[in-house]
Amino acid sequence: MLWKLALGGIKSRLKDYIVLFSGLTISAAIFYMFQSLASNPEFLKANSTLGMIVFIFYFGSVLLGIITLVYILYANSFLLTMRQRTYAMFMMLGAKSSKIAQLIFIETVAVGVISTVVGSAVGVGLTSIISQVLVKQMDIAITHFSPWSTSAALVTAVFFLVLFAFAAIYNAGKLVKTPVLNLLNQAKTPTRFKRNPVLWGIEVAGGLILLAVGYWSMAQLNTLQLFGLGIALVTIVLGSYFVFDAFFLMIIQLLRRNERFRTKELHSFTLGQLSFRIRDFTRLLSMVSIVFALALGAITVGLGFHDTIQTMAEQISPYDLMLHDPTTASQKQADALSPISVSTYQYKVAGKNVYFLASDFNRAPFKENQPQQRADGSYGVKKVTYGEAEMLKDPTGHTQTLADLVTQKAPYQTITVVNAADYAKVNGTVHSTQLYITKDFMAIKDKLKPLVAADQKQEGSTNANMSMNQKYSVYALYNTMMSGFEFMGLFLGIAFLAMLASCLMFKILSGAASDALRYQMLEKIGTRRSLLKKSIRQEIGTLFVLPGILGVIHVLFGLQMFKVTSLLPQPYHNIWLPFLIFLVLYVLYYFLTVQLYSGIVLHSGKSEEFQRGE
Amino acid sequence: MANVVTVNKVRKVYGKANEKQTTALKDVSFNVQAGEFIGIMGASGSGKSTLLNILSTLDKPTAGDVKINNQDVTGLKGNKLSDFRSREVGFIFQDFNLLENLTSRENIALPLSLQGVSAKKIAPQVESIAEKLSITEILDQYPTEISGGQKQRVAAARALVTQPAILFADEPTGALDSHSARELLDTMTTLNKNDGVSILLVTHDPFSASYCQRILFIKDGVIGQELKRKDQDRTTFYHQILDELGTFED
Ligand SMILES: Nc1ncnc2c1ncn2[C@@H]1O[C@H](COP(=O)(O)OP(=O)(O)O)[C@@H](O)[C@H]1O
Ligand SMILES: [Mg+2]
Repeated sequence: MLWKLALGGIKSRLKDYIVLFSGLTISAAIFYMFQSLASNPEFLKANSTLGMIVFIFYFGSVLLGIITLVYILYANSFLLTMRQRTYAMFMMLGAKSSKIAQLIFIETVAVGVISTVVGSAVGVGLTSIISQVLVKQMDIAITHFSPWSTSAALVTAVFFLVLFAFAAIYNAGKLVKTPVLNLLNQAKTPTRFKRNPVLWGIEVAGGLILLAVGYWSMAQLNTLQLFGLGIALVTIVLGSYFVFDAFFLMIIQLLRRNERFRTKELHSFTLGQLSFRIRDFTRLLSMVSIVFALALGAITVGLGFHDTIQTMAEQISPYDLMLHDPTTASQKQADALSPISVSTYQYKVAGKNVYFLASDFNRAPFKENQPQQRADGSYGVKKVTYGEAEMLKDPTGHTQTLADLVTQKAPYQTITVVNAADYAKVNGTVHSTQLYITKDFMAIKDKLKPLVAADQKQEGSTNANMSMNQKYSVYALYNTMMSGFEFMGLFLGIAFLAMLASCLMFKILSGAASDALRYQMLEKIGTRRSLLKKSIRQEIGTLFVLPGILGVIHVLFGLQMFKVTSLLPQPYHNIWLPFLIFLVLYVLYYFLTVQLYSGIVLHSGKSEEFQRGE
Repeated sequence: MANVVTVNKVRKVYGKANEKQTTALKDVSFNVQAGEFIGIMGASGSGKSTLLNILSTLDKPTAGDVKINNQDVTGLKGNKLSDFRSREVGFIFQDFNLLENLTSRENIALPLSLQGVSAKKIAPQVESIAEKLSITEILDQYPTEISGGQKQRVAAARALVTQPAILFADEPTGALDSHSARELLDTMTTLNKNDGVSILLVTHDPFSASYCQRILFIKDGVIGQELKRKDQDRTTFYHQILDELGTFED
């Protein structure tokens, strides 16, 4: 009998359950995907430079785990509010509380098991798509990569099931302990908003000052170093909390005091709801604003790193390709790339000495990018050009500069630049090196790959230094690293965004059942439906917009860290893209929440029957 | 005298055609005149709340029609219905809670805001109705901070601030102690006498009913006897109601 009732309850609230399920399924899928990418042994062994990515992924999954935990807590409280009236009713009808506890336990665990299983399956699919994208992006071939990872599935299952088991115990305990009457009329009664105005003012000022200090220390990261990061972390977390606890509330109170504003339409009601809500939501809202900032920052920085691959490769060398002792075949191949300049340098190797011909530098001055620290502490490059005169002024002083040009096979110690007459006198083996500059490195980089590979093979080099003189190798190395960052940033960012927006959504929906009475009352006293809907949109909109705005401000200031430390030369470049991704996702969640909330608080227009106790 | 409410052959059937049906009202007809304080009395389950919900446009009759201020309300829908509710009818219910996230003042002002009354005009109207209901002192308090009797007065103030054609009250004293109940009923009587507010009170309690000028008895969805107070004092009328109930219940 109870089973039937319990199942009947699920049927009648199918829509809410679908929301709950899909949210949990997606979170399980994302969690699995992270685990499988990070813990796939083939993936790990595929390339040693991937070691860094593995670490990043583990870090990401820990963060994701924490957010998932919060998410499950909120989803669970949504489940509880959704069901407690029904269960309280059973108890009134005389069902034993142990029986009810058992039902709740089973229901919660069932929700957990189903969403974990479905989520892991979805995760396997997502992993195979994502890993292909990742591999393609990173220009590396990984063999035997399997989207299915037993250990990832195990970790996901254990993580989710343990959480749900705890949630189930909590739910069961809570429902059984709370008096039945409280469960039935669980409308949270807002208490009077009593606050010492002086303390309040101090909190407002303190919050704003804390934020300012945090922003300042991020901009001063160069001088403050790790200490600055610590300051920023503490001050911004506290500052955000105070801003929600005091500043936003103050604005709402001020609006409430404004007679003209307050007495218009449903404003007094909307403000009343909001001031109650924000107090209830302070912790969540401040957390959302900070993690949103992290998520948005991760996307921005991830995409930013991608932009820097080219810049960094460019900074390493002005030349796109270097051919040591080119063969006719390789020269032909290189010429096919229609380079805008080809510089040829010849040299003779005589024992421990290498001699370059000075006139070569007259024809094509050698270019070099020298790393430089700017006055503001950031790093950049200085472009230097060496002509014939400069070379002859200090004939042996350019050994370092020209080292990359000399074949690895020559066991030399000194490089001397000499004039034609002296060069002719040198008795040694003749070599030459050709340097190419193309119009657009990024466009032809794939064609460079075989040339570089052939050059490296000819040089017989496995030397890391060797590959670093080829722009392509530098590019490939950075690409491996940065794609990881980019992918992580995008992936982690979007996963966080989705999870947090869902947290906010479930928190709002959890309150819907008790809000429903208020909306019913408003409707009874003749409030137009359009006004009710407007009030809902405004209220939920504010709850979404406030942490969103604060998060965006955090990001804008946070990017200073990357600027001053030169990790990203132009952190604000193309910033619209991550913001657009953020906005689209956020707006989607907003509309979904408004839709679901309205569905709960506004009874359908058809039945005009109001629930009223006798 | 003009009729504020005209009820004509109202029938209400609960439940769908293929399910078990309850006929809560069976062709109920009666009138309420302007300035009248009328009571509808009946046992629990007799159809009082159903009737009141239909009168106050919260529910629709299965058949028949209801006119308030000569306007047929049974066909009203959407915005027209909402606007009608906010202008023409006021209600207080036993459990008609106030919005607990608003102060009493804000609660009372809300219907005026909904009608688009300007802030300047709202304040004096709220003050004036609050004075009539003796709740001036608690205007800036929240519902959780005031007593049940005071809450019901605030609810009455909110119902009356728009000067509706009629005030509907469904067991308004049901959740009050006898002292508060008496006070509320006295206030309603005063409002009726001095301000000419038409009141329709629904109750199962003879004491509350004794404050009315006319009482309609309802049983199983049918209106039976009618009792008029005329010039009797309240105690006499109270006993008359008890007598009537004795015969009516059989
Ligand atoms: N929403 C409803 N659905 C079905 N039956 C109802 C509903 N509301 C009331 N009833 C039935 O209609 C009859 C009258 O109820 P009601 O008007 O609430 O009586 P009263 O207020 O006089 O106690 C009762 O038999 C009751 O069970
Ligand atoms: Mg009733």
